[in-house]
Amino acid sequence: MTISTPSNSPPTDAASDPAIDLAVQDVVPESVDLAEEFESSGVREVMEELDKTLIGLAPVKQRIRETAALLLVDRARKRFGLAHSVPTLHMSFTGNPGTGKTTVALRMADLLHRLGYVRKGHLVTVTRDDLVGQYIGHTAPKTKDMIKKAMGGVLFIDEAYYLYRPENERDYGQEAIEILLQAMENDRDDLVVILAGYADRMDRFFNSNPGFRSRVAHHIDFPDYSDAELQQISELMVTEQNYEFSDKALTAMAEYINLRRKQSHFANARSIRNAIDRMRLRQANRLFQANAGPVGRKDLITLEEGDVRASRVFTGGLDSDAKPILPSAED
Amino acid sequence: MRITQGTFSFLPDFTDEQISAQVQYCLDNGWALNFEYTDDPHPRNTYWEMWGIPLFDIADAAGVMMELAACRKVHAGTNYIRMTAFDSSHGWESIRLSMITDRPAHEPGFMVERQEQAGRRIAYTTRAYVTTRPAGERYT
Amino acid sequence: MNDLTDTKAIPEKSRYSAGVMEYKKMGYWEPDYVPKVTDVIALFRVTPQEGVDPEEASAAIAGESSTATWTVVWTDRLTACDKYRAKCYRVDPVPNTTDQYFAWIAYDIDLFEGGSIANLTASIIGNVFGFKAVKALRLEDMHIPVAYLKTFQGPATGVVVERERMDKFGRPLLGATTKPKLGLSGRNYGRVVYEGLKGGLDFMKDDENINSQPFMHWRDRFLYVMEAVNKAQAETGEVKGHYLNVTAGTMEEMYARAEFAKELGSIIIMIDLVIGYTAIQSMALWARKNDMILHLHRAGNSTYSRQKNHGMNFRVICKWMRMAGVDHIHAGTVVGKLEGDPLMIKGFYDTLLGENVPANLQHGLFFDQDWASLNKCMPVASGGIHAGQMHQLIHHLGEDVVLQFGGGTIGHPMGIQAGATANRVALEAIIQARNEGRDYLAEGPEILAAAARWCSPLRAALDTWKGVTFDYASTDTADFVPTATAS
Repeated sequence: MTISTPSNSPPTDAASDPAIDLAVQDVVPESVDLAEEFESSGVREVMEELDKTLIGLAPVKQRIRETAALLLVDRARKRFGLAHSVPTLHMSFTGNPGTGKTTVALRMADLLHRLGYVRKGHLVTVTRDDLVGQYIGHTAPKTKDMIKKAMGGVLFIDEAYYLYRPENERDYGQEAIEILLQAMENDRDDLVVILAGYADRMDRFFNSNPGFRSRVAHHIDFPDYSDAELQQISELMVTEQNYEFSDKALTAMAEYINLRRKQSHFANARSIRNAIDRMRLRQANRLFQANAGPVGRKDLITLEEGDVRASRVFTGGLDSDAKPILPSAED
Repeated sequence: MRITQGTFSFLPDFTDEQISAQVQYCLDNGWALNFEYTDDPHPRNTYWEMWGIPLFDIADAAGVMMELAACRKVHAGTNYIRMTAFDSSHGWESIRLSMITDRPAHEPGFMVERQEQAGRRIAYTTRAYVTTRPAGERYT
Repeated sequence: MNDLTDTKAIPEKSRYSAGVMEYKKMGYWEPDYVPKVTDVIALFRVTPQEGVDPEEASAAIAGESSTATWTVVWTDRLTACDKYRAKCYRVDPVPNTTDQYFAWIAYDIDLFEGGSIANLTASIIGNVFGFKAVKALRLEDMHIPVAYLKTFQGPATGVVVERERMDKFGRPLLGATTKPKLGLSGRNYGRVVYEGLKGGLDFMKDDENINSQPFMHWRDRFLYVMEAVNKAQAETGEVKGHYLNVTAGTMEEMYARAEFAKELGSIIIMIDLVIGYTAIQSMALWARKNDMILHLHRAGNSTYSRQKNHGMNFRVICKWMRMAGVDHIHAGTVVGKLEGDPLMIKGFYDTLLGENVPANLQHGLFFDQDWASLNKCMPVASGGIHAGQMHQLIHHLGEDVVLQFGGGTIGHPMGIQAGATANRVALEAIIQARNEGRDYLAEGPEILAAAARWCSPLRAALDTWKGVTFDYASTDTADFVPTATAS
């Protein structure tokens, strides 16, 4: 389990907490300026942040924009006293590993917080192991514990389908599912649940658990990144860590991405991150072993072609018997 | 009588919303909350029964209020329930706030027993009337 | 004749020739000296006699409070006298004055006996205050090194353990001093104690001059008071206490009274500052050994702490008393009838409660002070305060304090219990509002008025004392004020 808090969330004092703002509205306004709302609620900031830090994912961003619009309008309607019900905010994020689901969940938590739909805006990320116990009576407290920690924020259940194991009729996952369903219904004001995982498995999961299907209103599909997007992502990651590719390394990286995708255990951006970590290691070893006098700034920040091409991906991938630098499942 | 232990015993009993505000104050200070219950209200009965272990890593009061609801389901009416906030920071490492959230409908109070001794001295014993009955049958 | 402008110590050979010599030249003025982490440092406010050089006056103070006498003595040369000489290393004019100077003087730790406030003070405030070359002298602050602090017990109980024993958390404690101070019989006295405790106070208190007088001898008081404490405890289900004053003419008598208080089951006793530092330390050791909270009434301090140019600042007393080992000390109210500038009082409270207190000139704290895990000492606010000021009291004094409403409890028109209840309700209402995040200082009067709608004792208290304030200028104020920025 991990708990993340939004890094740039607004202060939660009464004056600026949108939830409290709504509570004290007793005068019906003449009109509502949606553009101004977009600005003042901080939604624009979140959307910009999303655009800036996340490459690609156009359909995801579009869905988030739509959700934000819905919630903004919903808020405006409330001020006019127009009939409204608390919208169902539970979501499912489907897609392959490394397609940005957790990152977007963090932004989503921030967004919901700024719009006043959750009070704190923190994200609690869990998997089956955090929710399901090994003995009788072990599961309910574990699941409830996680729900308590997530109250006021977002509970992100990664690979949610592992909760459901029809092959074992005494599996304790079912108990966790029931408690989660209850919380998703009764604590809608305090808790948003996001279920995440591979698209096909999530489909099967929803089909066998209609309770979840009926409580999840927003489905967002995360497509795989294109080669060009992964190339961009690799450059962004390298820059963030104060490195840069040489021109030849850049070409090699493009080849690497193309090859890597065809091999097993490909995990989009996550595979790229891991590859870069290993390239840094090779670069360091190269600098150290070359032992060619003092090294300058340029040497320290440049990843060379050789640092990329030394990967086993170029020699047949995971089955290759090339000697690894690091024991690793992927390289 | 009304026993007046705890941070807020002289105010009317708090609503859930008011309790929740105190919970949030504690959470914002980084303190862990715990519920405890007892049917022995003696002022020096330090160790009330713990309802689970203290709730660490909770961000929002709603999570703590869930636990109070669960505790009440079992013990409200037949026990006192109090909420205790623990501060682990150096130089304190103890309780920061302790308030009674639930009390039995009728509180019979205490009697003072005086044992006269030499030189006008008196040895005092405070006894809760309810503790003449066995634990678990005191406020039923 | 020596050159008067030469500030350097003179060479060894001529330093010890018989006769009278400037203190500056005898090694008591060392502007380049960097204090060691083990040095005790004292900050004096010096008002030199007219015509006396401030540095020479300050060096003289360093000399007279350590090794020097009025004339050169050859016996210095039998000692490591460089080490034992206190060193004045800095002299600054006091802001907004014409004739006063701050002098920083460092003392080697070997000048002092461990664990003895008496020995420390015999040097620092010994002969030197009568020294003719200064017109007036005030000890403003001291830095006590960790090494020396560790030779002291510190508060016998401390704030945290006191709260644990009392089972009282999250709010200031409430007390009241039994009034009238003098004349009540034991039986009548106990009545006041019972009413106050039953009404909602945590503590009642003997006053500083209640010892054993013809109208009430001490054993009689102790017996009736403990009847009141135990009965109030049973009526409320709360732990209650009464500070039994054990101050007496001799140590033997104080021990006897303390033992009797313990036998009767009292959780707290009290002493007066006038019994002296050694007696206080002895009582603190006794209190630690006997699980007793030790309350100190600062009787007498204003004879030397109030005037700005002579005597000593109360913050130094706070430091010494935390070292000496008392659990409670009266440290001002800001809003009440006794001397107390808000910033100065903040400095006292930080000194008593802090773990690592940074220097803060506006609060009168000249040095960083690491308290080396000595227990915290609970400040007590007493004198001319009432329920209507509750929001201000909590704003200025915080949560770790005993608020004592003597007149504000016993003078209540509906009786003592009602007075106590008014205070407790006001206190809890303000703490509730503070925790809810309300601007309780600005909204204080409304918060109290709202509580008074269902609590008639509070309503009567607010009506009776509305508008009572003690608005006199403080005499002991900060020398350093924040500069207003142009805006």
